[in-house]
Amino acid sequence: MFACLYVSDFPVQAALLTQAPDAREALKKSPIAILDGPANLPRVIALNNPARNLGIEIGMTKLQVETCGGVRLRMRSTADEDAGHARLTECANLFSPVIESPGSGIFLLDLAGTERLLGSTKDAAHEMSATAREWGFDLHVAVASSPDTALYAAISFAGITVIPEGKESECLARLKVDILPVTPEKLRVLHGWGIYTFKSLADLPVIALTERLGQEGQHLQRLARGQVKRTLFPVSPALRFVQSYEFDSPVENLESMSFVLNRLLQEICSCLIEHALSTNEVRLMLNLEAAQRLTGEKGEFYKREWKLPTPTQDTKMLFALIRLELERQTFVAPISEMTVEVIPIKPLTAQGNLFAPPSPEAGQLEISLAQVRTAIGGVDDMGRNCFGSPELVDTHEPGVFSVARFTSFADVEKSRKPGTTVVLRRFRPALLISVELKKDIPSAVLLFGKTRWAIEASGPWCSSGNWWDNTIAWAHEEWDVRLKTEGGFGSFRIYRDRIQKQWFVEGMLD
Amino acid sequence: MINAALLRAEVEKRLPSAFMTYKPEYRGSIPTGIPAVDSLVQGIPLHALTEICGNDMASSGKTSLMVSLLAEVSQNRCCALVDASDSFDPETGYDAGINFPRMLWVRCGKVKTKFSPLQQAFKVADILLQNGSFKLIAVDISGIREHVVRKIPLSMWYRFSRVVEKHSTALVFVEQEPHAASCAELVLRLRTEPPRLDIFTGLDLKVEVLRSTKKPARAESGFFLNTQWA
Repeated sequence: MFACLYVSDFPVQAALLTQAPDAREALKKSPIAILDGPANLPRVIALNNPARNLGIEIGMTKLQVETCGGVRLRMRSTADEDAGHARLTECANLFSPVIESPGSGIFLLDLAGTERLLGSTKDAAHEMSATAREWGFDLHVAVASSPDTALYAAISFAGITVIPEGKESECLARLKVDILPVTPEKLRVLHGWGIYTFKSLADLPVIALTERLGQEGQHLQRLARGQVKRTLFPVSPALRFVQSYEFDSPVENLESMSFVLNRLLQEICSCLIEHALSTNEVRLMLNLEAAQRLTGEKGEFYKREWKLPTPTQDTKMLFALIRLELERQTFVAPISEMTVEVIPIKPLTAQGNLFAPPSPEAGQLEISLAQVRTAIGGVDDMGRNCFGSPELVDTHEPGVFSVARFTSFADVEKSRKPGTTVVLRRFRPALLISVELKKDIPSAVLLFGKTRWAIEASGPWCSSGNWWDNTIAWAHEEWDVRLKTEGGFGSFRIYRDRIQKQWFVEGMLD
Repeated sequence: MINAALLRAEVEKRLPSAFMTYKPEYRGSIPTGIPAVDSLVQGIPLHALTEICGNDMASSGKTSLMVSLLAEVSQNRCCALVDASDSFDPETGYDAGINFPRMLWVRCGKVKTKFSPLQQAFKVADILLQNGSFKLIAVDISGIREHVVRKIPLSMWYRFSRVVEKHSTALVFVEQEPHAASCAELVLRLRTEPPRLDIFTGLDLKVEVLRSTKKPARAESGFFLNTQWA
């Protein structure tokens, strides 16, 4: 047997869930309409029976409803509806582990094997109705041998309906064909034939109906007769791996926090292991002391997120990552509450490549990189990472680069071969120098407080870019000069900034 | 009467390694990619500390040798460059053949912390060394002033030499002058020779072995490094 729980006027009931039980019961007796749509022209999308009695209909504008007077108007809240749906899912799960939700506020339950637990189907239906009322919902409950029959009965009949096996067609006879899953074109055809109820559709000859409406027509007729047997598409409850701890008194030292943090992570990881899941995203939320919040100063709430390159269930690794971050941070107020959330994903099941070169173990590498971040910082003034894999940027501007995240799974260019050449040792930022020219060629350079004579100069190599924007435009006149220095001969790359009209040394060929 | 053998036995009973002499084993090396250097010292030793020195005011080739090492290692293993003065140039590094996805570049001194860039470099080198997964860790401190580097206590170098022994890693310090003394298994000094050609096509360099636990083929060797455009 299958049961259907149907919450009539679900948006209205969901909106009232936030109220206290007594206030909710009082509000249910007053006319309420839920509005949705553009802010300048919201329309009624749901209403309760007292509102219907006042003549309010779905689709009316806010202005039209207000003219009726005495109707409580509320804007639709998807958050309330989601919360209501989740609450109803929990309620339905009390009676059956196999439930299907064909829409908001509608649940189909497979009652097979629950007879000894719930008693007769009628008793079970009464129990469901009573429990749902305790949870804040007024339900239509229908029990039938097929899920679709139970669904149509619950939608159409208020209260509790139990349809005995073999009586489906008889019980559904008066229902309108409009509630069947039929396309508007086919519904027009049925109405054109004078078919308005389930009984008139069920009485049509099968072969003639199939000839005219195809397989869909036959399926509709079987639905109207209550003959469609199917299994449910069970909904799995959304898994959230969140652990929170509110301290009795706000804590200031890392040791107290670490103790709680370790416990929260252990609980989360054991839950992950139970569900055969792992995580690659961890979130930490810290609430700072309430007094701080009242003053309105910045930093009353701290949030940090870690994205790991590979899924893990390792408590020690996650703990080390978070602890290193907390060591690095300075909070403006003591911490009153700590929340840890992980996003579950399927664990990595693929076997590693036997022929791939050995690379750092992902978890260990993450901890090492977190330690490096603690030691040297995260990003520089230019917004570039202080550590990672260097990346070239598609520009001719000298000295421009980016730093990507370093992972042990990075793909490499296999065709690249090392070719030893002289490399540049950069001065960041470029050093301001004075240059003496002879026939427009650098002959002497004032560098590190001394004048150094150029033995050789090669250039100029001119380049420029971003000319369309004065703030980022650049124009260089580059020279390679060989200077006699204290340690021998130094080959430097110098350039004249044609916008600033100044000379700089970019680096040394070393 | 206690004779020497009895005394030795008594001491060894209490301190088992009291009379043992420490002899590090030879456990492989990585090629530098420069034939002249490889023929001289058979590559940079693994499980050991190496120093590459060169004058900071001259184009001695120390950075080119370090980049060549990184390029060789990054062909099939991960390596790290701890850059104390943020002087690495990605463009020329790419041209030298470094596989960037396999290289961790740590730019010290970019964010103001309680540590100086030199302290940051040593701390990061220690972290990466403890990780044990990098085939080569190159620490470039040649941009730091010599009088600051000279203040590093010898115990620090000794600690590095002992830690690196446990890992299959080559720890290379690039500096102006050698500082690790006997803690380094190999010390190379590079210097530039007066230019032979009028056209600027490269650097004429000399590499000299200042210290090596193995006997080098020669005391020094010369080689020519081309520029990118030559």
